[in-house]
Amino acid sequence: MSAAGLSAHSTQEPTGHGPVSSTPGNPAGARPDQAGGPEVSGAGLRRAVIVGGNRIPFARSGGAYAKSSNQDMLTAALDGLIARFGLQNERIGEVAAGAVLKHSRDFNLTREAVLGSALSAETPAYDLQQACATGLETVLGLSNKIRLGQIDSGIAGGVDSASDAPIAVSEGLRTVLLELNRAKTLQKRLQILSRLRPKDLSPDAPDTGEPRTGLSMGEHQALTTAQWNITREAQDDLALKSHHNLAAAYADGFFDDLLTPYRGLAKDSNLRADTSMEKLAALKPVFGKNLGSAATMTAGNSTPLTDGASTVLLSSEDWAREHDLPVLASVVDGEAAAVDFVHGKDGLLMAPAFAVPRLLARNGLTLADIDFFEIHEAFAGTVLSTLAAWEDPEFGQDRLGLSGAFGTVDRSKLNSCGSSLAAGHPFAATGGRIVATLAKMLHQKGSVDGRPARGLISVCAAGGQGVVALLEAA
Amino acid sequence: MSTTGSVILAEVPSLSKLYLNAAGEAARRRLTGGPPRLSLPLVSHEVRGVRTDVATLTAFQHLLGETASDELPAGFLHAMAFPVAMSVLNRDDFPLPLLGMIHLANRIEQRATILFDQQVDISARVENLRSHRVGTQVDVIAEIRVAGTTVAAWQGVSTYLAKGVFLPGIDKRESVGNGTRPDFAAPDPTALWQLGVETGRAYAAVSGDFNPIHLSALSAKALGMRTSIAHGMYLASRALAEVGVPRGEHFRWDVSFEAPVFLPARVALDISTTGGDFGAWQESAYVAWNARSGRRHFSGTVSALQ
Repeated sequence: MSAAGLSAHSTQEPTGHGPVSSTPGNPAGARPDQAGGPEVSGAGLRRAVIVGGNRIPFARSGGAYAKSSNQDMLTAALDGLIARFGLQNERIGEVAAGAVLKHSRDFNLTREAVLGSALSAETPAYDLQQACATGLETVLGLSNKIRLGQIDSGIAGGVDSASDAPIAVSEGLRTVLLELNRAKTLQKRLQILSRLRPKDLSPDAPDTGEPRTGLSMGEHQALTTAQWNITREAQDDLALKSHHNLAAAYADGFFDDLLTPYRGLAKDSNLRADTSMEKLAALKPVFGKNLGSAATMTAGNSTPLTDGASTVLLSSEDWAREHDLPVLASVVDGEAAAVDFVHGKDGLLMAPAFAVPRLLARNGLTLADIDFFEIHEAFAGTVLSTLAAWEDPEFGQDRLGLSGAFGTVDRSKLNSCGSSLAAGHPFAATGGRIVATLAKMLHQKGSVDGRPARGLISVCAAGGQGVVALLEAA
Repeated sequence: MSTTGSVILAEVPSLSKLYLNAAGEAARRRLTGGPPRLSLPLVSHEVRGVRTDVATLTAFQHLLGETASDELPAGFLHAMAFPVAMSVLNRDDFPLPLLGMIHLANRIEQRATILFDQQVDISARVENLRSHRVGTQVDVIAEIRVAGTTVAAWQGVSTYLAKGVFLPGIDKRESVGNGTRPDFAAPDPTALWQLGVETGRAYAAVSGDFNPIHLSALSAKALGMRTSIAHGMYLASRALAEVGVPRGEHFRWDVSFEAPVFLPARVALDISTTGGDFGAWQESAYVAWNARSGRRHFSGTVSALQ
């Protein structure tokens, strides 16, 4: 994969499905004749607003939630949200949530959580799965239904347990069991059973390896980190800021109305308020040890396996008013992207580097117009590689079809309340954590230069995917 | 060289019988000695109306990471033709010993799509007996046609080396190259394969190639190997699957084998793709190496058929 991201074969063009097609080379001016109001991409639709959110503290795997199932945790997060906003016996338009690591018995996970919650049993629900983008995609999907007038309220969410992960039986045992079930005679059953071998009894546990490459997510990111020359120090520095920002937000009481304690945990168990560059520098690299270049990714600048759940309450403005509920922010727009990581053209987690330029172009915005950046810290290297790509003129020209570099993110506006490196990352729950956190930050900020404060969310996901979203203060 | 006739076989020969016969033939040659044969048999072997077992096809596709479509993968077709090819090498008038031959390279052209419910005619012949630095090499040409048609939809050229066999009249000096390979520096991988000891048995089950050197450490040792090795065509077929959709249905697929993959193994792979004008796919080159030692196992290309 010779300089994959740099030697371009094709660009991912701006999609241009706004009212006026975007112009490659000048995404910021893609709609010169529009007033710049972010409602343009949904002109004529009503607004979808974020009323608030609730999550349970995130726990490192094998910790406080080791015995809790996905359904347990999602229900806990949901019940906290119901209690906070007085939704007992309320029939919500729809609840959408999902989990990445899912037991086969969890086929209707969200509906089961609804049935176990204080919501009206007449609240419909569906499951969604888009790897780590699951949570954000549920927010976008329900927001769109609200904007279209199909529903007036919705609860988006996600949950994951790395502790209570499903373990499958081996392929040999599974085949035998299935055939046994189909066999009609005792003789046939015995014949099938005789095919079982001792090795068929060893279980098949899930891992974070990409099915098509066999490389773990960390190994994939190590390739990208090296490709963009991201230093160990820069990654440790980002991790340090994540812990310090999250700790400061807890100290300020920022999460008081975003969290419900669960199983004795009142804050994220991965948070290390007292960590330092020295402590982070002492950790040994865990990914990319077989690369030619020095390994830079450690347990400190990579997210740990985590258990947790999050929820976000969405509605129309009328519904919030009728229920006498606050409105923190509105969901303006969203965009998904994917990259060809299988053949090394781009790094596994680099899809947001393409999604964000398309999203901002459609909304007539540049990075300079954003007041808060929430870039999910799957690994510190993921965030820094994305920023490096946006600052690279060659990437901007060859891959984004721009006249130069896409732009620079003001680091003081990045992950201001901490992100996944400190909080942990229960895959499908991360989107809900970020949306609720950003909505509250936007609400606190109110307006900037006479316009509503704007926030950008970027979440990378397995399979070379990414989902990004634009919010603004309401 | 062209063939002078063809032998129509009633059915696809049994590989296990061929391997047994080859072992017997090797013993017989050792005992009786006799003058070596110096030319290739000018005959092709053919089997007509071969059907595909759909369960085996699906298992092959799952194992190799191919989409489980109704089209027969190029590597699956190789496996279908393999017993017919081996039956030519197993002829009494074939001059090289079948057992212990080393698969050096393979070149396949997938010219038309063959579906699983189509019967096929398979033919194989040998060509191009020539010297190699350390022995004698030969090409096995296999062709697969949709039954009743005359044009090969698939053609495979497999090059085998009989190590340590030097036939009089085949001049060593004709051998190309000096035998040294250019230094290989492993690039960053795009994939990492964890190959367990069962890899050889798993491929044997879907390809029918139960050569003992692939099945277990014990059976491999019986044939003088350090331990069992992965099938070359298993490795090449996985690389082909990983090239994936861009290759389209018709393509040329080359592989050169270097160091064998002793099982278990961690094999790193890099695929780099080049496009032509307007971004159309032209070629994907792949190279695989031992993730620990950096030693190259095999390399090749998948390219657009002109």
